[in-house]
Amino acid sequence: MFEFITPLFLSLILGGTMVGIIFGAIPGMTATMAVAVSLPLTYSLGLENGLALLLGLYVGGISGGLVPAVLLGIPGTPSSITTTFDGYPMAQRGEGETALRIGIIASFAGGIISLVVLWLFAPTLADFAIKFSYVEKFLIILFALTVMAALSKDMLMGIFSGVLGIFISLIGTYDVSSGGNGELRLVPPGTEYWLESGFSLLPVLIGLFGLAAILEQAELGVPKGHSAKDIKVGAHASFSFSVFRGQVVNLLRSGGIGTFVGILPGVGGSAASIIAYTNAKTFSRRPERFGKGEPAGIIASEAGNNGLTGGALVPLLSLGIPGDSTTALLIGAFTLQGVQVGPLFIGNNPDTWNAMIIAMLVANVAMLVMMYVAIRWFALVVTIPKHILFPVILMMCVIGAYTINYGIMFDVWTLAIFGIFGWLAGKLRLEIAPFIIGFILGPSAEIYFVKSLESFGDLTIFFTKSWIAMLLWVLIIGSVVVSVLLARKARRDGQGGEEA
Amino acid sequence: MKLTRRTLLAAASAASLLALPLVAEAQNLPRNMRMVIGSKSTGGDTYQNSAIVADALSEKLGINIKVDAVGATEAFKALARDSRGTTIMIFHDQSYLANLYGVTGYDDPFENYTVGPTVAINPGNAYLVPADSPYQSMEDILAAAEAGTRVRVAIQPGGVSEIGFSALKNAAKLRAPGSEENIVPVNTGSQSDKNQAMWDDLADVINGSIQANEQFTQLPADDAKAMRFVWITARPETLEQAPEAGMGGTSRADMLAHASPQTSVTLDGEKDFTFDKEFFLLFNKEMDPEIAAAIDTALGEIFAEGQIQERQKAAFFIPNYLSAEEARAHLQEKRDAYEKVISEISGGS
Repeated sequence: MFEFITPLFLSLILGGTMVGIIFGAIPGMTATMAVAVSLPLTYSLGLENGLALLLGLYVGGISGGLVPAVLLGIPGTPSSITTTFDGYPMAQRGEGETALRIGIIASFAGGIISLVVLWLFAPTLADFAIKFSYVEKFLIILFALTVMAALSKDMLMGIFSGVLGIFISLIGTYDVSSGGNGELRLVPPGTEYWLESGFSLLPVLIGLFGLAAILEQAELGVPKGHSAKDIKVGAHASFSFSVFRGQVVNLLRSGGIGTFVGILPGVGGSAASIIAYTNAKTFSRRPERFGKGEPAGIIASEAGNNGLTGGALVPLLSLGIPGDSTTALLIGAFTLQGVQVGPLFIGNNPDTWNAMIIAMLVANVAMLVMMYVAIRWFALVVTIPKHILFPVILMMCVIGAYTINYGIMFDVWTLAIFGIFGWLAGKLRLEIAPFIIGFILGPSAEIYFVKSLESFGDLTIFFTKSWIAMLLWVLIIGSVVVSVLLARKARRDGQGGEEA
Repeated sequence: MKLTRRTLLAAASAASLLALPLVAEAQNLPRNMRMVIGSKSTGGDTYQNSAIVADALSEKLGINIKVDAVGATEAFKALARDSRGTTIMIFHDQSYLANLYGVTGYDDPFENYTVGPTVAINPGNAYLVPADSPYQSMEDILAAAEAGTRVRVAIQPGGVSEIGFSALKNAAKLRAPGSEENIVPVNTGSQSDKNQAMWDDLADVINGSIQANEQFTQLPADDAKAMRFVWITARPETLEQAPEAGMGGTSRADMLAHASPQTSVTLDGEKDFTFDKEFFLLFNKEMDPEIAAAIDTALGEIFAEGQIQERQKAAFFIPNYLSAEEARAHLQEKRDAYEKVISEISGGS
C-alpha cells in the first residue's frame, strides 16, 4: 500500500521543500515559478516521485514568502501581503525572529488543518464547492475587498486607493479566456502593444513593496544596519509559545478560511490570507493593534495562505479543476504521465492519492523543521549593511520581474513604474495596502460581477440567489460596520490624545 | 604507447569526419531554442504536446529546447520579435480561428508567420449535456431549436470552443432557416466555468473535451455533476487511430458513436461538419529557411523512427506529421472551410 515511500520519494520532498522555501523567500520568485521550472523533470521521475517533488516545492514556496515579508516588508509571494502588515512592524521593533517563529508555526498549523480536511472530506467538499456560482464567488471577493476599509489609516483615502487599484487592474484586454469579449479597454492610445495584457501582478507587487521601499530609504539616506543584538537574534531572542495563548480560534478559523478559499476554483490564493486577516481583525478584542505589529495578524495571514495548499487540491483531485495557479501546474504532472484527473481520480488511483497525502504531510513537517532551524540565519538578513542589501534586493526584484512571464521586458518597466508610484504614493497620502488588494482582486470581481448579471439578469440576484449569498452579505456588512466603528474610535482616541 | 596515440588520432579523425554533416547542420541552428506556446497553462494539451515534441527535437538536433507557456498574445509577440531562429512556436487551430472570429491580438498566421509542419491531433473536442437532459442526441437538439425551444450552449468565444457552436447554428439554419436563432451562446471562460454553467442550470449544452469531461460521464446519473457526451467533433478517421480502449470508461467505439457519421451535424446538407484540433509549428517570417527546413527534416525523421508516436498515443494524441509544405496547404484549406461556416452564420444572424 505504501510501496511508493522510498528514499528517493522522501529526498524529493525534502529537496523540493528546501528549494521551494528559497524560491518563496526571494522577492519576485514564487511557488508557482518553482513548480513550473521543475515540471519537465517529473516526466522522468514517474508520477508519485514527481508529485513528491512538486508538492514539496508548493508547500515550501508558499511558506518561504513570509521571510522577506517579515524582515524586509516585501511579500515574497502575493499570498504573503498581509504578513507584511504586522510582521514588518515587528521586525522594525527588533522582533523579526519572534515574528518569523510565529509565522512558521502558523504556516505549519494552516498546512496541517488543510491536509486533514483534504484527506477526510475532499469529495464531499467538492460537491459543496459547485454550489458556488458566479454570484457567490463575487460576494466572496467583495468580502475580501472590505479589508480595504479595515486596513486604511484614513478610510476615505484608503477606499480611494483601493478603487484606484481595481481601476488599474482592469487595464488591458477583457480576456476571452476568462469569459470576456476580447476587447481592449482603459488603454491609452499608443500603448496597446505593451498594455494588451495589462500590468502583471508580481512586478506591480515587488515594485510597490520592494523598489518603493528602497527609494524611500535612499531619500532618507542609507541608515546603518542593525546589529544582531538590536534585532534580538539567537540568544537575544525572546520567543515563547505563550504568544499563541488565546489564538487557537484564530489559528483554526484562518486555516479553515484558507482551506475553504482554496476549494473554490477561481477565487485566487491571495484572497485566502486577506479574508483570514480581515476576520482576525474583525473578531479581535484589540483590533486597533492590527497593522502595528500584532502577532494575531501574522497568525491569520500565514495560517490562511498555508491553509490554501490542501484546499486547492480538493477541486483538483475531485473535479479535475485546479484551485489556484500552482495547482493548475500540478495538472501538468498528471497529464504528462497520461493520468486523468476528475471525479473518479481518488477511487481509481489510491496509491497516487496516498502518495500525495503523505508528501504533503512530510513537506509540512520538513518546512517547519527547516525554517525553524534556519531562522537565526534568515533574521541576520537585516544586519547586512543596506548599501549591500539594497542593490542585491533590487537585482532580485528585476530578475523576478523579468522571469515571471518567461522573459518580458515590459514587466521590468512595470516594476520601475510601480516602484516610483509607490514612492510617490506616500507623499500623496495614497495607501499602498488597499491599492494592492484592489489590484489583486479587481479582475476577479469584474468577471464574477459581469458574469452574474449576464447569467441571471439583474442586481437582485446578489441578494436572492441562495442562503450562502445571504450569509456572505452578513459577513460583508459585519466587516464594514466593524471597520467604521474602529475608525471612529481611532479618531476619538486621536482627538483625546491631542486634547490631553 | 606510440600505437595507442596513433590509434587515438585515427579514431578522432574518423569520428570528426563522420560527425561533419551533423556539425554542419547544427551550425545553422541556434544552440538554445525557445518554444513558446499559445497557452498559459502547463496542464493543458498544448503544453503536453509541445513538451513531447521539444524533447524529441532536442535529442535529434542536439540542441536545448525549452517550452515556455506564455499564452497566445505574448507568444506571437515573441515570435515576431525574433528572426534569428531562437524562438519557434507551437499552437493549434485557435491561431487562425481567433483571427477569423476577430479576436484582438490574433493576426492572420498564414500572412504574418511561416506555418510549419503539423505534429499531432487532439481528437477530444466534444459537446456534453447533463445526465438528466431531455436531449439524447444532436438530432434532439436541432429538433428542439426547430420547434422553438431555446438551447443554451456554454462556450469560450473566439476560437476552437466556438467553431462547433457555429457549425451547430449553421446546421440548424440549413435544417430550418430561422431556427439557428434558438441556439444561443453562453459565453464563459475556462472548462471549469463551462462545467459550472451546466451545474448552475445556465447552459443546456457545454463545450468540453474527452480528456477533461470523460470522468463526469461515468458518474451515477443521480449525481448532480453527471454528464453525457452528445457530440465529438473529430473526424471518424482520426478517432479510429485512437487506442481501442479509448479513455477511462469510454471506449473508442463509444466515441465513434458520438462522432460523424453516426452523429451528424451537417456542413452543407451533404457532408458532415468535423473538427480535429491540430497542433503545428509557426516560425518568424524572416527566419533563415534552412533552420525551418532542418526542423522539418528532423521531425520527418523522428516520426519515421516511430517512438514519438507511442508517447503521443499514451497521452491520447493522434500522431499527425505533415511536412511544412503539406501542412500549409492542408491548414489553409481547413481555414477556408471554417471561414465559410463562420461567414454563413454571421451573415444570417
